[in-house]
Amino acid sequence: MSEILIKNASVCDPAQGINCETMDICIKDGKIVESVSANAKVINADGRLTMAGGFDGHTHSAGKINVGRSINPNDARKNLVPGLSGQVARTEKTRAQVGYNTPNTYAIGYRYAKLGYTTICEAAIPLIAARHTHEEFKEIPILDKMGLSLFGSNWQVMEYIRDKEPEKLAAYVAWGLKASRGYGVKIVNPGGGEAWGWGKNVSGLYDPVPNFDVTPAEILMSLAEVNERLQLPHSVHVHCNNLGKPGNYATTIETMKLFEKIKPSRDRQALHVTHVQFNAYAGTSWRDFETGAPMVADYVNGADHLTFDLGQVIFGPAVTMTADGPVEYANARMLHEKWSNQDIELEDASGVVPLFYSPKSFVNAVQWAIGLELALLVKDPWKVMFTTDSPNGGSFVNYPEAFTYLMSAKRREEVISGFSKMALDRMVLPGIDRELDFYELAIMTRSAQSKMYSRPEKGNLKPGSDADIAIYDILPGQIDPSTEYAKVKKAFSGAAYTLKNGEIVVKDGEIEATPKGKIYWVNAKVPSAIDSAMQKDIDIKFRKYYTVSKSNYMVEDAYLQKPVEITTEGVF
Amino acid sequence: MQVVKLSLKEANKIPIEADNTNPDNFAGKTEEEIKAILVWYGNDQYPLGDFFNVKVEGSDSVENTKLVFEGDVSRVKRIGQNMSAGEIEINGSVDMHCGFGMRGGKIVINGDADSWLGCEMTGGEIILNGNASYYVGSGYRGEACGMRGGKITINGNARDYLGEHICGGEILVKGSVGLLPAISNNGGKIIIEGNATMPASEMKSGTVIIKGEVSDLLPSYKEEGTEEVEEVIYRKFVGDVNVGGKGVLLIK
Repeated sequence: MSEILIKNASVCDPAQGINCETMDICIKDGKIVESVSANAKVINADGRLTMAGGFDGHTHSAGKINVGRSINPNDARKNLVPGLSGQVARTEKTRAQVGYNTPNTYAIGYRYAKLGYTTICEAAIPLIAARHTHEEFKEIPILDKMGLSLFGSNWQVMEYIRDKEPEKLAAYVAWGLKASRGYGVKIVNPGGGEAWGWGKNVSGLYDPVPNFDVTPAEILMSLAEVNERLQLPHSVHVHCNNLGKPGNYATTIETMKLFEKIKPSRDRQALHVTHVQFNAYAGTSWRDFETGAPMVADYVNGADHLTFDLGQVIFGPAVTMTADGPVEYANARMLHEKWSNQDIELEDASGVVPLFYSPKSFVNAVQWAIGLELALLVKDPWKVMFTTDSPNGGSFVNYPEAFTYLMSAKRREEVISGFSKMALDRMVLPGIDRELDFYELAIMTRSAQSKMYSRPEKGNLKPGSDADIAIYDILPGQIDPSTEYAKVKKAFSGAAYTLKNGEIVVKDGEIEATPKGKIYWVNAKVPSAIDSAMQKDIDIKFRKYYTVSKSNYMVEDAYLQKPVEITTEGVF
Repeated sequence: MQVVKLSLKEANKIPIEADNTNPDNFAGKTEEEIKAILVWYGNDQYPLGDFFNVKVEGSDSVENTKLVFEGDVSRVKRIGQNMSAGEIEINGSVDMHCGFGMRGGKIVINGDADSWLGCEMTGGEIILNGNASYYVGSGYRGEACGMRGGKITINGNARDYLGEHICGGEILVKGSVGLLPAISNNGGKIIIEGNATMPASEMKSGTVIIKGEVSDLLPSYKEEGTEEVEEVIYRKFVGDVNVGGKGVLLIK
């Protein structure tokens, strides 16, 4: 097959400790190799910044986003980031694109590729709705995809925890991942989704879930133990209790502390806490609301069992979408906004609410600052994954803009200068002068993900890895990101080249080719005796409660485009 | 003064999307230049001259440019979209989205108008000497604000959802309207001289005056005495309390 030689690349590959060194990269048959023949096609990088393809480990790009699309038809005409949003007519190579926060599936693939991203992880798949998620995955071109399946408010999960049946619980989680063709265990406001079925919420880690007599802490611990028993490639991925409430930083730290006793079964974290910006609020109400980022960062700096992602806020319109039903109800009431609410049968809740982050609102200004504070106050970038929880904090097409906040104190000052005195009093960001370099940015946007998700072939440029590569129009030694942030933004907004499995998919910021991406899913092996005992229990659930039969519930391989099955051995 | 007279060569069945047919785009242009302006027809663009006979008298600035459509243009959409000044006279009926997003100037329609007349307009004036269809002065689907300024006068009747989500400006209907006029009104003024059904639901602010009969008045309003407007005494309702609204609904 084809061979490519990328010459004179200024390579930034933190997995190998390479910090903007000029070298050549050889590609053969979609993989990075040591050398190629003289017949290889040559791409001259001319000293430009070259990284592995970006990896967005937490994005809402398939599934619930469709509810966002239907309640925000006006999003289709929004064009706030020209070139990466709005309505674009079809071309010879691309299909028609619309939207900003909730773009159509094709636009999601094209736009991520233009940013140099080649892998995404859908953050929440309700098991029963997995078929829909995979239908959307199929229509997102270029990118490799995976998704996290929801288990945090599931009846069967909570019953097994209450009845102290960890083996059956493991069998159920393994079956749930298979049924949804999911990659990992997502826990959203543990227990809260079920409580919301009764119009309630859980208030903290030790508040029992109505009718199940289990606490969020028990749900978290049991699922974490199962996650390690099954040796899953990713740790549990947790959206903490009390999201969006002033004072919730304490719950977040408490949750992180719980996991100190979890021993990871692989070389990765024991816990991933997601969109921590929404969970790092201090104060007791919206009146005395202030940043809780220093306390959270302080704990994270002293701990080595966890990773987290930001959930950075971008000013402008956004669409919140989460399985955290009660939060969305609160949002809709507080903001007098449109509200979509769904009951996911025996499994969870879900809600969608559009909102607008304004720099004039002191709450929004502080939220904006908290994301950056977390990224800058946590010393080790390997613990941090950059996200906007797209589109909850803002659309992913704003990543280049957000990179400038991380790389330039001057750019931050520019934004901060528009804030009110009250907002400034509630944040610590103005006192932080740290500026990330390209190396640290590469860690937060691709290399850390490779480790967090145990995908050694992603997020690095080692021989043997997938040839997913982004070349940006930046000459590392000759640019000062802290002052030339406009250039940085422009370069990251349209990669000079994006290669996906050794194929040029983006050239000079325009789509060149639209190959189909792979779908990763995890098949965790469970002894058949335990599996069949568990099946008997869920058969009752399907007979008594579910609206679908078990045979129609499972997502078949026919639904997956280029599936990649990752098998793990459960320890029983 | 520049006057541009347009008449359809033959009635079209597939709608023409004339979204750039406004004084801003026509001012100072010759007949040939205007004929060459591209408009969408089906899934392709064609010169305006393919569909219309165009006659230009004089040449002037945008403010002093007048477009006159002779005859029926009931399959021509988006006439006067985004216009900022000047005048458009339509001597016949017009298709949807006439005056969409207009910022200034004047449109006079001597016929009927299809849905979305004056949708999202922020200034200027529309006078309709006929009947209007649905969603007069409303917002694009999903948007929180429709019309924000300007005035729409309808000398006939209008159908449902008149002034949906309007945030400013004024709509005056001399005839009657259909269901749910002023739904989600957020600061606009709507006067209906005829009858209305279920007016001003989910109104947050603004004023709605109905001089004719009201059917199915919603129960989510507080009655607060009476108010006199132009020597007529109305019953005054404040709401919609469902959304904590402070809008004023005056009915007889």
